[in-house]
Amino acid sequence: MNAILYFKRYWQMYALLFLPVLYFAIFKYGPMYGIIIAFKDFNFFQGINGSEWIGLDAFREVFAMPDFTKTLRNTLMLNLLDLMVSFPAPLILAVMLYELKITWFKKISQTILYIPHFISWVIIGGIVYQVFGTQSGMINNIVTSMGFDAIPFLTDKNDWLFTYLIVGVWQSAGWGTIIYLAALTGINRELFEAADVDGAGRFRKIWSITLPSLKPTIVTLLIISLGNMIAIGFERPYIIGNTSVRDYSDVLSTFVYRVGIESGQYTIATVVGLFQAVVGLVFVLGANYASKKLADQSIL
Amino acid sequence: MDAFTRTHRTGSTKQHIKGVVSMVQKLKQASSKKKASAALALTVATSMVLAACGGGSSNTESGTNASTDSGSSKATTLKVEVFDRGNSPKGSTITNNYLTNFVQDNFGTPNNINMEFVPVPRSEETNKLNVLMASGSDVPDIVFTYDSGTFYRYAQQGGLTDLTELLDQYGPNLKQFLTDETLAYGQLEGKQYGLPAKRSHLGKYSSFIRQDWLDKLGLPVPQTTDELYTTLKAFKEQDPGQTGGKVIPLGMSIAPAQYEPLIWSFIKPMTEEESYTLTQQLSSRDYPILLPGFKDAMSFMNKLYNEGLMSPDFSLDKDKTKLSENVTKGLVGFFSEDDMNPYYPDGMYATLQKNNANAVLSAVDVYTNEEGKHPKPEYSPIGMYIMIPKASKHAAEAIKYLDWMASGDNLFQMQNGVEGENYTLVNDVPVVNADAADEIKNRLYNQGDMAIISNGKQLGDADKNVEAYVVGMPEKYQEDTRKALTISRTDTIKPILFDKPIEAQAKYGTSLLDKFNEIIVKLTMVKPDQFDSTYDQMIKEYLANGGQAILDERTAAYKAMKQ
Repeated sequence: MNAILYFKRYWQMYALLFLPVLYFAIFKYGPMYGIIIAFKDFNFFQGINGSEWIGLDAFREVFAMPDFTKTLRNTLMLNLLDLMVSFPAPLILAVMLYELKITWFKKISQTILYIPHFISWVIIGGIVYQVFGTQSGMINNIVTSMGFDAIPFLTDKNDWLFTYLIVGVWQSAGWGTIIYLAALTGINRELFEAADVDGAGRFRKIWSITLPSLKPTIVTLLIISLGNMIAIGFERPYIIGNTSVRDYSDVLSTFVYRVGIESGQYTIATVVGLFQAVVGLVFVLGANYASKKLADQSIL
Repeated sequence: MDAFTRTHRTGSTKQHIKGVVSMVQKLKQASSKKKASAALALTVATSMVLAACGGGSSNTESGTNASTDSGSSKATTLKVEVFDRGNSPKGSTITNNYLTNFVQDNFGTPNNINMEFVPVPRSEETNKLNVLMASGSDVPDIVFTYDSGTFYRYAQQGGLTDLTELLDQYGPNLKQFLTDETLAYGQLEGKQYGLPAKRSHLGKYSSFIRQDWLDKLGLPVPQTTDELYTTLKAFKEQDPGQTGGKVIPLGMSIAPAQYEPLIWSFIKPMTEEESYTLTQQLSSRDYPILLPGFKDAMSFMNKLYNEGLMSPDFSLDKDKTKLSENVTKGLVGFFSEDDMNPYYPDGMYATLQKNNANAVLSAVDVYTNEEGKHPKPEYSPIGMYIMIPKASKHAAEAIKYLDWMASGDNLFQMQNGVEGENYTLVNDVPVVNADAADEIKNRLYNQGDMAIISNGKQLGDADKNVEAYVVGMPEKYQEDTRKALTISRTDTIKPILFDKPIEAQAKYGTSLLDKFNEIIVKLTMVKPDQFDSTYDQMIKEYLANGGQAILDERTAAYKAMKQ
């Protein structure tokens, strides 16, 4: 009886929800049917149903591929380094922006900082070559004109890591500040006034007021990043990378592209995709669990 | 580089743009697995829209046709794939232009067949084709691909019509035109699953040197690899181009046109068995990585690089953009390239001369092997693989269409247009009428994609075919072009063909190709004292990643073939 009354009153809400749910069912859950390909010797003239079951053979094959091990290692390595460098960057930037008192300057710097987020990786790739190239790059032109040897930013794998990380920070840090700044607007100004009365300095206030207020945001973003540990975008390593640094720049996404799309081995590509999804899920749940235990914060 | 772009090669900027565009498209298609499937869905959607459009236009055509030959039996519709490069001139579309009408009027209407052309964007050829093939019922009756791996995969998975008998029955002219040598490339275990287009010019590479630099230094044209080394050193030390220390004696990139002529000249003369078993075919190209002499080639490149005689950033230059830029800026002394590429209007040479009126670029054949020859790879005698999907109900009509194209002067007309308007015959070679109105010139804008049975103009013999390319060049470069095209056909190494596909090559080919490029780059750039250990390490990795599997399979296949 209550349920009927409830529905009578709130059916519009459910009606509103219907389309989004339908969207997820069709475009997110529907395609999961294709996961079956990972367990079949997929032949697209016979379709998914007509192809033969092969059990876990494809998984065995993938795990035995030297390229898979290497790209898995690189994916984790690049993501971990990225987490160490690119994760704190927006936080620091946001706190710095928050401390600024001149509004117009703050607004302009914020805009300039997040513009790179909207630039396509293809274009960033072009810029990177112009700036970091060994022979004709801007930086190396300066370095060599001062009498030093050119630094192989793009062709030595360790120098390349630096390039990769710096470019990542440049591209994403400004955009990342938006979420922190939004969280910061929620801080009660009275806290700062009280701290002023108590004679707290600027760093004391950052440490004791600003950062603690950001803790839930930081934890949420950290959990999301950890969930993405094993997933890696295609554009950045593919475009910033090149043949001479393949030892590091070859990652799971480029591997899937090469094997699945270029060589037409859909089964193998699906296996890698499924593997990434499962491991990603484990990472998210693990990080969430850990943060619930350690910091009493969680998103699930 | 595929055959069509080869006939339509233009200047460096265009190539660059093309490179970027194709890269963007690649990214769009596959920026991640998720995006790839989204892109796939999008492609499906677009193809349906396009198919709908194509159907619409041809329906109106068939409407008029039906009314004229009323009473005859119902017309069949023959669907033929066509590459869309997005370059249709004003007033025509890729599905409705001079050549589609030519085909309809001369083949379609007389045979009561409606021709329908199904556009496929050139840059996503394989992906789009996969979607079409997987769709089953909606697939065109004639499809094609440049990628031998795709062809073999379709054939092995049972997606193609066996054409052996149909060809005898309906395609005598076609069979005669293509010749057994070409047809062999379309066979799989004795069955004719594909009809490879016939290639008119097999030469690939020539090398080029700054003649004005040689003259300035009073040096002769180098005749051997050793002499080349001396010349490069002189370019470096004396900087005849006054580049202010930026001279690049040997222009290099990580594209085959630059490294293949150098590497193959170091490969020792090989026995038939060696060439079959030790060659590794990766993505339709033969690679000499396991052949005796490869290490010497790498050692030579290592020496050049470490002595500063080679492009320092060559490993970043996949599509020759940087190389073209350096050549046109007048920084490069010597380089190898696709034989006639520098001579196109607004091409490398033209731009170089615009920047420096005194620059002279001569075609030369320098790299020499121990027998004093100038070995370099040549193309296989084929272009793209033409296929008829198993789902097609019009295989006979499809063969008739191709047979029609091969008979009489139909192919000639499709490739050259109308005599007196598009071309004039000089010594049996059609010379393009450059002054013709755009409207007339535009007739043939997509002839390479419509005249699918041939790759390049077919005039009866190789010399005439080459001459057709020569007369298409700007007049002042014709003599140089002729020389480059002669060089590219000298001492060539033919690609190796087995009577069945090597499965390991299809499986590991693309990955190993990346590995191969990595090996070249590493061995070239490593410090000379670490060369030997790096070489051993890289070869070991190469074999472990599939090279050994290919080697084993080729050895077994060779043995089976010899029995």
